[in-house]
Formats: sequence, C-alpha cells, structure tokens
Amino acid sequence: MQRALLEEILGIAVSTGADFAEVFCEKTRNGSIRLLDNKIDAVTDTTISGVGIRAFFGVNTVFASTSDVTRNGLLACARSVAEAVGDAAKFGNVHLTEKIFPNVHPVSIVPSTAEMKYKTDLLREANSAARAYDARVSQVIANLITVDRTVQIANTEGLLTCDRHLRTRMAASVTAVENGENQSGFYGPGRGMGLETFELFPPSEIGLAAARQAITNLKADYCPAGKMTVAIENGFGGVIFHEACGHSLEATSVGIGTSQMCGKLGQKIANEKITAIDDGTIANAWGSTNIDDEGNPTQRNVLIEKGILKKYMVDRLGSRRMGMAMTGNSRRQNYTFEPTSRMTNTYIDNGPDKNEDIIASIEYGLYAKSMGGGSVNPLTGDFNFAVSEGYIIRNGKICEPVRGASLIGNGSQILMDIDMVGQNLDMGQGMCGSSSGSVPTDVGQPLIRVSSITVGGR
Amino acid sequence: MEFVDIKKIIEDEAKIRSVSEYELYYAKGTSISTETLKDEISSFSSGADVGLCFRCKVDGKIGYAATELFEEEELRALVTRAAENAKIIEKTEGEIFAGSKEYEPLPKRKYIPKGAGELKRLALDIQKKTYGTDARVTDGTQSAAVTSYGELYISNSHGLDLYRAAGASLVYSMPVIKDGDESQSEYEIELYSDDTDIEALAVSAVKKTVGKLGARSIPSGKYNVVIDGEQMRALLGVFSPAFSAKQAQSGLSLLAGKEGEKVAADIVTLTDDPMREGMPFITNFDAEGVAAHKKTVIDGGVLKTLLYNLETAKKAGIESTGNASKGGYDAPVGISPYAFFIEAGDKSTDELCKLAGNGIYITDLNGLHAGTDAVTGDFSLESAGYMIENGKKTYAVKNFTLAGNFFKLLIDIVALSDKIEYGAPGSYTVIGSPAAFLRDMSVAGE
Repeated sequence: MQRALLEEILGIAVSTGADFAEVFCEKTRNGSIRLLDNKIDAVTDTTISGVGIRAFFGVNTVFASTSDVTRNGLLACARSVAEAVGDAAKFGNVHLTEKIFPNVHPVSIVPSTAEMKYKTDLLREANSAARAYDARVSQVIANLITVDRTVQIANTEGLLTCDRHLRTRMAASVTAVENGENQSGFYGPGRGMGLETFELFPPSEIGLAAARQAITNLKADYCPAGKMTVAIENGFGGVIFHEACGHSLEATSVGIGTSQMCGKLGQKIANEKITAIDDGTIANAWGSTNIDDEGNPTQRNVLIEKGILKKYMVDRLGSRRMGMAMTGNSRRQNYTFEPTSRMTNTYIDNGPDKNEDIIASIEYGLYAKSMGGGSVNPLTGDFNFAVSEGYIIRNGKICEPVRGASLIGNGSQILMDIDMVGQNLDMGQGMCGSSSGSVPTDVGQPLIRVSSITVGGR
Repeated sequence: MEFVDIKKIIEDEAKIRSVSEYELYYAKGTSISTETLKDEISSFSSGADVGLCFRCKVDGKIGYAATELFEEEELRALVTRAAENAKIIEKTEGEIFAGSKEYEPLPKRKYIPKGAGELKRLALDIQKKTYGTDARVTDGTQSAAVTSYGELYISNSHGLDLYRAAGASLVYSMPVIKDGDESQSEYEIELYSDDTDIEALAVSAVKKTVGKLGARSIPSGKYNVVIDGEQMRALLGVFSPAFSAKQAQSGLSLLAGKEGEKVAADIVTLTDDPMREGMPFITNFDAEGVAAHKKTVIDGGVLKTLLYNLETAKKAGIESTGNASKGGYDAPVGISPYAFFIEAGDKSTDELCKLAGNGIYITDLNGLHAGTDAVTGDFSLESAGYMIENGKKTYAVKNFTLAGNFFKLLIDIVALSDKIEYGAPGSYTVIGSPAAFLRDMSVAGE
C-alpha cells in the first residue's frame, strides 16, 4: 500500500482521541494438497487479503478489519475505528519512515512456483513408504501445507515496514487395523522455508514415522493409571513446557492478572536444571519470523534461567499494561485477528543429565516417546496433554508399549518436579490456538524426567 | 465490487478458458465484539470479510481456487488456478449440482442486529452484575457481547442460485474469583435476545466459578459418573466425524457399515436438523446446494444413517443427506451435521445422581482436541466436577482424568437427563446433549 494512504488512514484512526494507531496489511497465499486413499483427494488454493486497523487509548483498544482494500473501503474502516474511540477531534499528522529489517529466513523453492507434479510426488513418496512399512497399514492421509505471507505494518510512531514469510509442512496420519481394531500414528514436521523443507525431512521418513507409531499402538495395551515417574522425550515433548508454563508467561494473561505467574519475576519458579527460552529468530524454524505482527524484530528471550523467572512475553498492549518492554512476540493468525503476545519457538534448553541415566533412574514409570497436543487454564495452571506413543519403564529399561495415556498436572508444581534434564534438545512443530487465532509454534526440549505426575489411563 | 460484477468477470473468463461447469461460493460476514476489563470497555472490534471460492469441473474432476481480493486480474486468475488444480485430482465423484427438486421453506427467525452502542452497554451491564454477584469477584473478570451476521450465495453454471443469511448475538460472563490464595475462572455464554436475563447469566457464571473453589484430588479407580450436558455435547462434538460417510468410506470410522445395527443404548436417539427450533443459524440447503432436511441418525440405539455429501453418496449409490459443508469459504467440501442433538431423557440431574449413588459428577473435560482419537473412539481427558455421595452432589474435585471409549460409552449410557445443553450457536453446526449416567468409568487421580 502507498505510504501516503497509510498516513491518511493512521491520521483518521487517531483523530478522535486515540494515542496510537497501527495498520496491518496482509496478502497471503495458502495452499494445501491432500492425499487420501492413494489418491490426490483435494487441493485448496487461497489468496487471503485484507487490512486490520487498531487504535489504543491508554490500555483500551479498538480494532477493525476489512477485506475491502479499495481506498474507500480502507478509509471507511479507519473512520469506524475513530468513531468507536470517541468523539474528540484533533488533527492527526503522521509521517512514516520506511525501515527494512534483515531477512534471516531464506527460501530456495517457493511452493507456488514449483510444478504440481513435484508437490504431488512428495505426497506419494510419504504414502508409499507408510504402506510399505506394514501390511496392516489401512489408510494414509498426507497433507502438504504451504503458506506464503506478505505483510506491511505502519504505526503512528512513524514505523513503516514489511516482511515476507514462507512456511511448509507435511502432516501424515496413518491408520493401522488388526482384528477390527484401529490405531493411528502421526508425524508432521515443518519449517519456515519453501519446499526445500523436504531435503531435511524426506517424505518417505515422514510416512514411515507415522506408520511405525500406528503399528506400535496396535501392539499396545491401555496405559495403567495413577501417579508415576515419567520420562518425556525431546521434540514435541516440549509441549509440556508450552502448556504448563509458556501460556502463563504471555502478557495476554499476565497483563490482566489472570496468570498464575503474575508478580513472580526474579523468583524461583522451576527446578534449577531448567533454563527455558522463547526464540523467534532461529533461522527457518517453524515459529520464526523476521518481525512480529506489530513490526518489531523477533528476539531470543530467556524466560527462565536456572529456575528463576526472568521475563514474560510482551506485546505492545501488554507493554502498556505491565510497564515492560516489548519482546517481539506479537502474533495473529491473519488480518482479521487483533494481535496479542504469543510464543514463537519455545524450549527447555539442554541440561546436565545424560539421557541413559534418566531412563536408568526409573524403577517403574512411563516413557512418553511422542506427544499429542494439550491445553491449559493460565489462571490456575492446570494443564493436560496427550501421549501418542508411550512405553512402560521397568527397572531402568524401556519395555512394552502402552496407549491412550494423557498427563495432567499443575504448571507451577510440574516445573519444580522436572528433576532431570537431558542433552538431546530438538524441536517439534505445532499450531497453537489462542485469542489471536492459530499460529505456528515450535516446542522443544531434551529428554526430561518428571519425578511424579498423574498419568491418565485405565 | 458487487457479486453481480464478480459473476460477470468470472463468467467471461470461464468462457475464454472453456470451463463450462463451475460454481461460485460467495460468503460475506460482519461481526462486532465488545469486551470489558474492570469497569471499562477494554476492547472493541469489528470485521467485514468477504471470500469467494471458485469450483469447477474439468475432465470429470473438481478443482478449487479462492480469494478475498476482488480485483479483475485476480478473479480471472482464479479460473485458471482452479482448472489447473483440477488436473491433479484423482477422484471423479465430485459434482457441480444442478439443484434439488424441492427446498423446504425456512421458518422465520428473528434477528435484530445489535449496534455498537448497545453491545457496549450490554457488556458493561454484564460486567457490573458479575462483580455485584459475589465480593470475591476480582480483576481479570471479563464480560463480552458479540454479534455476527453472515450471508452466502451459491451460484453455478447449471443456473442454480441460492442465498441464505442469518445472524446471532451472544453474551458472555467470565468471572475470576479470588479466595485466599486460590483463584478460579469459569464462563457462561448465552444466545442474546430481548428475553435474556443478564443477571441470571452473571449469577450462573459466578456460581460455576465459586463451585470450583477448594476442589480436592481423588484416588484412581472405577467410578459411577454423571457427565453433565455440556461435557456430553463436547464429547459428541469431538467424535462427530465418526458419523461422516467420508470418514467411514476412508476406513476412519468404527461406524462404517453399521447402518441398521445397534450402536447405542435403547434410550439414545440422535437427530440432525438444519432447522431446529431455537437455533438462529438455520438453512434449507447445504454447501453443494443440496436440499437440507431433518434426519434421525440413531433411533432407539440403532444407527439409521451416516451423513453424506454428493461425493460420498455417489460412492455408496444413494442420495446425499444434504450434509455437505465447508470449514471456511475456501475449504474443500466436507461433511458436517447441523443441530446434532442427543434427544432428552426423562430423569432430572438429581435423579441421575441418585442412580449413581456414589461417584463423580463431571463438569469439565479439557484438552478435547488432544486427548481424544476420533478413529479409535478412545479418550483420556483432564476432568473436574463434584463428588456424588449417597445420591447427592457434595464437594468439588479436580486433578483427575476420565478415560474411556466413545463408542462403548454410547452403548453403556444408563440414563439421560431431561434437559439438553448445547454449544454457543454461532454457526450452522451446533451440538447438543442431555447429561448422562454411566457406570464404572476409569478415573486416574492420586
């Protein structure tokens, strides 16, 4: 959008008493191709296009979005914001100076420019590998998801900037059947890059991993229930920190006093073996971007250092509410959502314990190899998450597989109970849902041990 | 750009590209939302979104492309994109539908759009009443009033032209209660009409929140449980894909091939109704333009039908049940229910507790998107509720999981309450259920 039009929009948005306004323009190309039943079953191909305009007066906000990007449509949207702010009249004079931030997420194959056959072959490769793994594999759904997002952000502090960000993911869901019983497996790696993602994750390995999990679950009996010592594997295992603590460190809840982590900066909130980081700058990671959705460069934020709470994740509104600096964590699904503080790539860093010692230390417990998603109430800290592949540990050895387990607990308690932290840090990809929509986030950790947690089983 | 102008450009481009069979799916939505913090409107937002999906049949296969950008160049490109996308599709069951013989007349529903000023007053009023209900209501408490209105046009090359519009307003009370060191939150949502009792909404939300204070842990074991209507309908919602013929035909539903068989207890009747009384979003056609009608899915425990769209019906050699849906205007045609309700039983919830004798009354099941597997029916979910002792609800309990299998649960339902709870009716799919009593369910606690 032209600079002069942005200046005009911002001028209108602050003309009735607002002390800050922002324009977020987006044009995104979303694509997905689904393979089901050995066939290419569906293709979606969408242009998301529109503008979100936001104004602040103190700690209150007015937001309006529109997909009408004509000059008239945009000015009407700005006027609707101004009307909702109030009826004071002042002259809003805004001058924008353009700023370009460095791109640390290069892309070598932009999905929309690749041959269709190249893309469908990726899915077929995953499908074939999954089906070849075991004759009991009865269904494979493989989805190739690509996003190519261009944003332009301007605000009344004079900022004008833009960014283009791509991400690519393949999600394979495999079902295996034996004696009329179904079991499922899932693997869905992704990166903040183009189709070169599959040089890192060959599709055959994606299909294989999902098939292996489905077959393992076929062999598994229901997980026993009760309090146990649990070893949680790296990668998507990091969902435990995401749910147990991450959400409670977002200004979204801290800023209005509805987080159990309010007022705890500088206090010991976790075992001293835990250092936890949210880092939106990791090159080409799933949850990375050059700038956040308010136009601030993303940052590496150490949230917890050796058990001490160091920082919250703070967006612009949170910054006003909490009197703290912004941390580059403002995110939104698209222009129709008002942005708020969100996680990017959040992980527990490597610790002092050897992985083999962690397993060997457990006389009886659960080894949670792969995790599903979960949820949390940030106010109470009560959280849950699902184990998608688990094994019983007996006398320090990983034994038979078990299925259907979930882990529940309380965030502040569990952070103290993570008493061993291993050394194989890795990340897993997920979509995180909150008030500003669904955004891509990485979770991560090395193998950890939780001394005691409730395992939901039968 | 108006829809008639969009249509003209698309028609012209389709002719140039020799695309003769196609459909335009054009969705418009507006929404206003107000939220409070303390005694102020902390957030006010409005949205006006329009999206177009172009769907065409090329060589017997269906391709899609969608956009929110209404410029001529983009609209023309949409036709080419969809035709290109059709080329890689490998199934041939999809259809651009010529129209049903008859569409049931839609009963009138009253929708009076709420203006920004009224929604702000409403949200502030709920907030005031929420604070006024209990001295322990504390900051962080939020109230909200939202209104949304959506219009849909389906227009295709067979001359089918369908239109529908509907709207609703919802009100929320979300209290935070602080009692000593303990904080708890809960919420209550209601469809807003002129008869809505704001005070009752606030009181109910606060009562729910206060009820959670002082919750205790419980030992693991087998318990008799009463699952309240809200949680039963949440479970039904998350397992509702099992009723989709697409899932069944793909080997992803344990209900596949069970039409005519017993899949639930005798007392279970499950209906799907696109025009159910009390629902603001009602329709007489589905996302493919097929006439939508009421159907009994489970009758006295027997599965009568799955839910079909054109593609799955063609595969099965039957008629579509009119359940085609789109997750968004740009999504591929899938299958969803409308008002999907387990019909009420004949017991009060007090009577269900009496039947349970000693057990747990479940008011919370969390993490449904993660702790459930729609393919196997298994679930293991973080739960909370109340103890039932000697047939009466007593103290609050939490920090336990409830585990089971949804398909077994349907069979094992002993009794159903006489009151149906349903989710916020903000769209065409609304799930409803009464409370249910079940014996010997697995609970993991201390």
